[in-house]
Amino acid sequence: MNPPIFIIIMLTVISGTMIVVTTSHWLLVWIGFEMNLLAIIPILMKKYNPRAMEAATKYFLTQAAASMILMMWIIINLLHSGQWTVLKDLNPMASIMMTTALAMKLGLAPFHFWVPEVTQGISMSSGLILLTWQKIAPLSILYQISSTINPNLILTMSILSVMIGGWGGLNQTQLRKIMAYSSIAHMGWMTAIMMYSPTMMILNLTIYIIMTLTTFMLFMHNSTTTTASLSQTWNKTPLITSLILVLMMSLGGLPPLSGFIPKWMIIQELTKNELIMMPTLLAMTALLNLYFYMRLTYTTALTMFPSNNSMKMKWRFECTKKMTFLPPLVVMSTMLLPLAPMLSILD
Amino acid sequence: MMTYIVFILSTVFVVSFVSFSSKPSPIYGGFGLIVAGGIGCGIVLNFGGSFLGLMVFLIYLGGMLVVFGYTTAMATEPYPEAWTSNKAVLAMFITGVLAELLTACYILKEDEVEVVFKFNGAGDWVIYDTGDSGFFSEEAMGIAALYSYGTWLVVVTGWSLLIGVMVIMEVTRGN
Repeated sequence: MNPPIFIIIMLTVISGTMIVVTTSHWLLVWIGFEMNLLAIIPILMKKYNPRAMEAATKYFLTQAAASMILMMWIIINLLHSGQWTVLKDLNPMASIMMTTALAMKLGLAPFHFWVPEVTQGISMSSGLILLTWQKIAPLSILYQISSTINPNLILTMSILSVMIGGWGGLNQTQLRKIMAYSSIAHMGWMTAIMMYSPTMMILNLTIYIIMTLTTFMLFMHNSTTTTASLSQTWNKTPLITSLILVLMMSLGGLPPLSGFIPKWMIIQELTKNELIMMPTLLAMTALLNLYFYMRLTYTTALTMFPSNNSMKMKWRFECTKKMTFLPPLVVMSTMLLPLAPMLSILD
Repeated sequence: MMTYIVFILSTVFVVSFVSFSSKPSPIYGGFGLIVAGGIGCGIVLNFGGSFLGLMVFLIYLGGMLVVFGYTTAMATEPYPEAWTSNKAVLAMFITGVLAELLTACYILKEDEVEVVFKFNGAGDWVIYDTGDSGFFSEEAMGIAALYSYGTWLVVVTGWSLLIGVMVIMEVTRGN
């Protein structure tokens, strides 16, 4: 894409999300969502193949429908309360439907069907923006209405999301679909804790964004999109092989890596609120996620698949992709656990 | 009839939406949009928003829909699908109109209807008033506020419109 146009469109994506995050007027929330949606469509369609166009169309239709539902219930909330402020108590019905609309935007089950298809159809860097930046705006609105969310609805959606994220990702070999199901599962964890401690949701979002950013950047460095080509990483850049090992373990939520912090905090907050079955189910279904991360680790770092001799010469070519900020990101996504006692400042 | 004019206009509004949502060829869908735009203007006029209703005619119908009509005319197909030429379109149209008619009959029969919010039959639209607006038209005051206190909103909407054009050009570039 033409560089000045690309800069303007990225600016609009960023300012759309910033408008949603910082505004206190419901109309501006809707405007921010629509700006974000409109500007990200050409980014999803960077490559002009039918697959990318179909993915962009699917994304547009689901997000536009969710924005319409959100707008309708914003107006009905205005009818009942007479004011447009975001932080005031919502009408209960409006709260349920707004939560549904925002769940459609996030890709929570049962509205998750678009996530793997859209993520698979677009390029790796567009998928990166889709799975990290696009989650910030809806989660910020859920944060602001978190005191009035119906618990039955949000907890059902979150446990369904973690289950679907786990089971859905098991049969995948395409890396973008694996990351899409990983995103669905992580959104499930985030919305589980939303009602009880929204700060933990922000913590989970931050650590999820750092880990997903790192994962995508490692995949982009190697230009791999399938598990099979990921298994040849030991040829191309052996360092990335070990990094993928550590990163996948972190995504799976294993201590002593930073992916463990959000899971630990969420389980702690849920048990403090006298829910026992819920964190048990969440932790057990997160094992499914861990299984397919481990499969990626196995094929990448722990095993050498058979390949012909010409594939073994790839290390002779220096990789020219500039992955700025990758080393700090890797450190942040794996070594933050000793800093967990800093969370005591929240009390 | 004038006491129920908003109710009648709303019903016909929904039927015209059904007429293009049943997906005939865009030329016929454009006709449904024109009717919907005109009726929307009528509804807005009935609530005292004379300026904005006429803006709908001027900008929406006279600007955007004209451009849409011309582009559709450039992309015509030899056998456009009307509402009765295809069983699927006809079935969708009849479903939509039936649903709307049943809803309208339900509202007219019962005195008080609560779907999402309570409203007392069709007569509730007559005295729909959220408060004392004094001597000034609320709608004119709103437009004035948009251009004085609401400068940020004008900037955001203007920027969104510009980005809309640029996005459309990027999407239809095709190479």
